[in-house]
Amino acid sequence: MRLTVLLKLAMRSVGRNTRRSALTSLAMVLGLALLVFSRSLAEGAYDKMIDSGVRMGSGHIAIQAPEYLETGKLEHRLEAGVVRLASEVANDVLRESLLSWAPRLSVNGLASSTTAAVPVRIEGVDPELERAFSDIEDKLQDGRYLEAGDRLHAYIGTELAQRLDVQVGNRFVLTAQTSTGDVEGQLVRVAGIFQTGIPEVDQSLIHIPIDTAREWLHTPGATSTLAFLLKESELTDIGVETLQLKLENERQIRVLGWRESSPELAAAIRLDSTGNYIFHSILLAIIALAILNAIMISVLGRRREFGVLQAMGLTGVETGFYVFLEGLFLTVVSGVAGISAGLLFTWGFFRDGLDFSIFMEDGLEFGGQIMEPIIIPHFSVEQLLISTFVVVTIGIISSLYPALRASKLDVAEAMKFEQ
Amino acid sequence: MKTAVRTTNLWKIYPQEPDPVEAVRGISTEIETGDFVAMAGPSGSGKTTMLNMIGGLTRPSRGQIWIGDREITEMSDKDLAQLRLERIGFVFQSYNLLPVLTALENAEFTLLLSGVPKDERRKKVLELFDKIGLSGLEDRKPGKLSGGQQQRVAVARAVVANPALILADEPTANLDSKASTDLLDVMERLNQDHGTTFLFSTHDPRVMERSRRLITLVDGQIESDERRNHSSVSP
Repeated sequence: MRLTVLLKLAMRSVGRNTRRSALTSLAMVLGLALLVFSRSLAEGAYDKMIDSGVRMGSGHIAIQAPEYLETGKLEHRLEAGVVRLASEVANDVLRESLLSWAPRLSVNGLASSTTAAVPVRIEGVDPELERAFSDIEDKLQDGRYLEAGDRLHAYIGTELAQRLDVQVGNRFVLTAQTSTGDVEGQLVRVAGIFQTGIPEVDQSLIHIPIDTAREWLHTPGATSTLAFLLKESELTDIGVETLQLKLENERQIRVLGWRESSPELAAAIRLDSTGNYIFHSILLAIIALAILNAIMISVLGRRREFGVLQAMGLTGVETGFYVFLEGLFLTVVSGVAGISAGLLFTWGFFRDGLDFSIFMEDGLEFGGQIMEPIIIPHFSVEQLLISTFVVVTIGIISSLYPALRASKLDVAEAMKFEQ
Repeated sequence: MKTAVRTTNLWKIYPQEPDPVEAVRGISTEIETGDFVAMAGPSGSGKTTMLNMIGGLTRPSRGQIWIGDREITEMSDKDLAQLRLERIGFVFQSYNLLPVLTALENAEFTLLLSGVPKDERRKKVLELFDKIGLSGLEDRKPGKLSGGQQQRVAVARAVVANPALILADEPTANLDSKASTDLLDVMERLNQDHGTTFLFSTHDPRVMERSRRLITLVDGQIESDERRNHSSVSP
């Protein structure tokens, strides 16, 4: 195979019909630029959803008792000794990638005021660690978030406050089954009221100091969940694997990634991502057809040229490879231009993001999370590699058929062809 | 005298409805090395089909072809391509230069395919261009050359690798009288200087006049085969 000669011919041929090459390139550039932009935007939106979801939920990595995810019951908790061990190991293993962590002791119960009794999800939290971990303090509507030293304070959602008819400073009673099996009450005072925009959360979530919860529920030092927030969500899998290895002998511990601990969020992202892939596949198919069409027309119009090349000593396979290289070259050049154009366009939004508030004034709930209207696109090296792979694949697929046609040419017939 | 081309009972039948077309019907002939042969005849007499079969571009339906001492009818496509590269040069009616290459690059193309080093290629082509009046046109693309100049580049491309045989399919058909005469001069000179065998298919009386042997085909068969007096290069 005379590769250098074929490559030189292919490159010259792309430059020969500038209008054809330019139109084909333009189709690719626009298509790929759109692809890169929309993919980056989707990745940015997912990043935001994951970040918001894991902060409100159980972090990127959660350590719980094995049955807790399924039952959510207090009896499936981590006892003090296990909590100490797990938090030490996790803080050591995740040291490089850890942003913050928080212990939570959760129980389902009833919140009662003089007006109403409402079923609630009570979470005992460490106020200082929780403040660094979750963004629930940012949702404050009235009063303040919990502080170190608080004992009988509660942070509740707006809808719950309305149903209980309480305001900051008012008292109400929490009732739940404790670890002893008895149902016991705990009087708390409203320290602050928040609004996330997610009805289920605003109706039922209550934060109280973890020490108060432990004392009330007779679970000294225990937690339901040790939640860990990482610097990048991509570090989750490796973090989970490492922790699982380190803690494999601890039967009373289960290490979960956010996809397991927040299955609704994972499913929502998967669903949206599938939709995106279908859209992108259609876009790529259109691009591939544009290239196939351009190369095919070019091949059909140059039969005599291919005949001459074979008359001079090129084999059929080499003639086909010449066409293949031409298609590949056109695709790669246009692909690089398209990806660059997409990146360049997306670049403008990397810092401040793209504001979609005009389309979602009140925020959009997605996968149990409220999507912020400003989305910062995210473009990773992995995505760049995938885009490059896709471009080359499109080039190969759309050039194969024309190449095959050129290689199977009847030379004598081709010579009769009028160019 | 050695034989450059030999055919025995050569047939080419194109399957066609309702009746197959017999383009060449049992032609047996020999062409000597260094000869300057014209194959004439009306349209559809089988001239181009004969050239295509001899050049290995079309496979015969029956019969055998030898190029020198090699029988080519059973050769693989790859071997035929190699044979064309090493031993056969083509000149076409429509010049068929590659539009993306310059005159010099077109002329050196077969040398490039043969892996001849660049310096040697350039030297050979420049010498040849000088000999056939193309000096100064090396960097022009085919679109910037006249018909006669393009055909001379095509001849240069065909002969530059010193093939044993040049097959020229109506090479003067698109040229005016002056350009045709110039081209025939060039080819005749190359024939005499290098001993290259030329086989033309032609309608052009000037080509027939200059040939040393004239084979006339009618309906796919040889009607006459006459050896002519030696021609001379026009002044």
